[in-house]
Amino acid sequence: MNEHSLHENTDNAPVLSVKGVTKRIKNRNIVDRLSFEMHRGEIVGLLGPNGAGKTTTIRMIVGLIGMTEGDVLVKGKSIRNDFAGAIAHVGGIIENPEFYPYMTGHDNLKQYQRMTEGITEERIRDVVKLVGLENAMKKKVKAYSLGMRQRLGIAQALLHEPSILILDEPTNGLDPAGIREMRDYLKRIANEEGISVLVSSHLLAEMELMCSRVVVIQEGKLVTVQSLGASGEDGTPAERVNVAFRVDDAERAKARLERMEEISILKVSEEKNEVIISVRDAYIPRVVGALGAEGIALYRIEEIKESLEDEFLKWTGGNRIA
Amino acid sequence: MLSFGKLVTNEWLKMFKKRSFFIPYAAIAVVIALVAFMMKQFGSAEGMPTGLEFTSAMFTKNGMGQLLTFLAIIGTAGSVPKEHSLGTIKLLLIRAQSRSKILAAKYVSVLVYILSLSLFAAGFSLLTGGLLFGLHARELGWNDVFLSLLVQLAYSLIYVTVTFMIGVLTRSTGATIGVGMILVLIESLVVGLLSRYDIIKYVLFTNVDLSVYLEGGTPPIQGMTLAFSLIVLAVYMVLFLGTSFVTFKKRDVA
Repeated sequence: MNEHSLHENTDNAPVLSVKGVTKRIKNRNIVDRLSFEMHRGEIVGLLGPNGAGKTTTIRMIVGLIGMTEGDVLVKGKSIRNDFAGAIAHVGGIIENPEFYPYMTGHDNLKQYQRMTEGITEERIRDVVKLVGLENAMKKKVKAYSLGMRQRLGIAQALLHEPSILILDEPTNGLDPAGIREMRDYLKRIANEEGISVLVSSHLLAEMELMCSRVVVIQEGKLVTVQSLGASGEDGTPAERVNVAFRVDDAERAKARLERMEEISILKVSEEKNEVIISVRDAYIPRVVGALGAEGIALYRIEEIKESLEDEFLKWTGGNRIA
Repeated sequence: MLSFGKLVTNEWLKMFKKRSFFIPYAAIAVVIALVAFMMKQFGSAEGMPTGLEFTSAMFTKNGMGQLLTFLAIIGTAGSVPKEHSLGTIKLLLIRAQSRSKILAAKYVSVLVYILSLSLFAAGFSLLTGGLLFGLHARELGWNDVFLSLLVQLAYSLIYVTVTFMIGVLTRSTGATIGVGMILVLIESLVVGLLSRYDIIKYVLFTNVDLSVYLEGGTPPIQGMTLAFSLIVLAVYMVLFLGTSFVTFKKRDVA
């Protein structure tokens, strides 16, 4: 359903398609027939417990690691057979971006400018301005903080105007302010320039704030592809929501609600005076009315959302820490 | 072709921008000046070389040939391993350039480096020798100086190529410098130990020093010719470079 609506929003072909990619080392499948697609302007998170194959997947997509089977297409060009053509559309930060510490920030960017045709001095200036490093360009990179290096990493990745950014654990080692800054950059890039972003991470809360979709893998296999946030809620109106009612007398509320159809009581918590029910959106005003008519005081109505963490543990069986 | 030139520029800048870049050149200058000074100070008047003879002598294996080779090994050992240890290899390889081209650019920059070391040594020797002893030709002419420079370059080139390959294979700068230097040092030992066997003719070490084919030299094994040595060296070079390129192309960068 969501796949379908995405196709309608973007009439063009997927920016990235991973097709049955497998990495086998010594008869063990590190990544096993993994397939997913990404479209223009999407931020997709690649999630999985430690050792699930996230890093291997990312590195196969950018050609650092060879694939045993399958292929990756970037804008229709194969990483396997037309590496230079495919990778020209990709900007990447693999783990913490590493630069030549004895060179200045500008010298480092010049290195990458020389490796791709057609990057002007003006483009370098624009990118540097975008990440806010104008005043640090003449400093040697060894004097940079991690946050500054991360920003130089983004500048480096954007230099050749890629269609897709691929980031492996981009927030590793950043402080909360740095993480937030990174998130804002990525969202802006995706919204304003229509660049797709693929991020691997195990920071679930971070992914929840940033991504429009997550691809969950475990032991190298695809577990699920889920839409998050807005695109997850625009489903059919018949969908039921879980709501917690805080009342003065949970027992009485329960007794009243039990008499109503279309409501299933999930949990009654005496000590918190809460009743948690599953109900249709449209039915909630009637529930409120019924409780009021019964003389039950109502203090709070809260929707209970499953956090990405809960869902993640459900998907991956919860037997491992992400 | 234009883009390949830019890749070489990149590699050259990676060496050049290091603060330690000029140390080898300074070391060469100091050694040459010191040797020339000692000769002038303590040599007898009739045993005094000309400037050309001095330069030619500096370029023999026992003169500065080995020192130049050591410096070249140290300078080039990090070419590939440093990218791994700094972690910059990841950003280097996700550009729209093939891995072979990137490695070729590295190798070319290494060649430029040994050429610059040798030319600097030659220039400085001629300058010092000319100032102290005069530049008139005796039995030894400019041609001989040029030949000894060429022989020394070939000697460095072989060892630098081995070093380059070890760098690709081990990804460790320290190990690469160590192995490269040890190879240079055990060269005469191996030739000496194996000289009884016929196979020694085909060993790299027996063929690296082409100066034996210059006037007045004797080949280590009777019957060896310049053409033979050049062919053996060419085969080894193809082997070393082939191994380097295949390994570098296939490698999973984790």
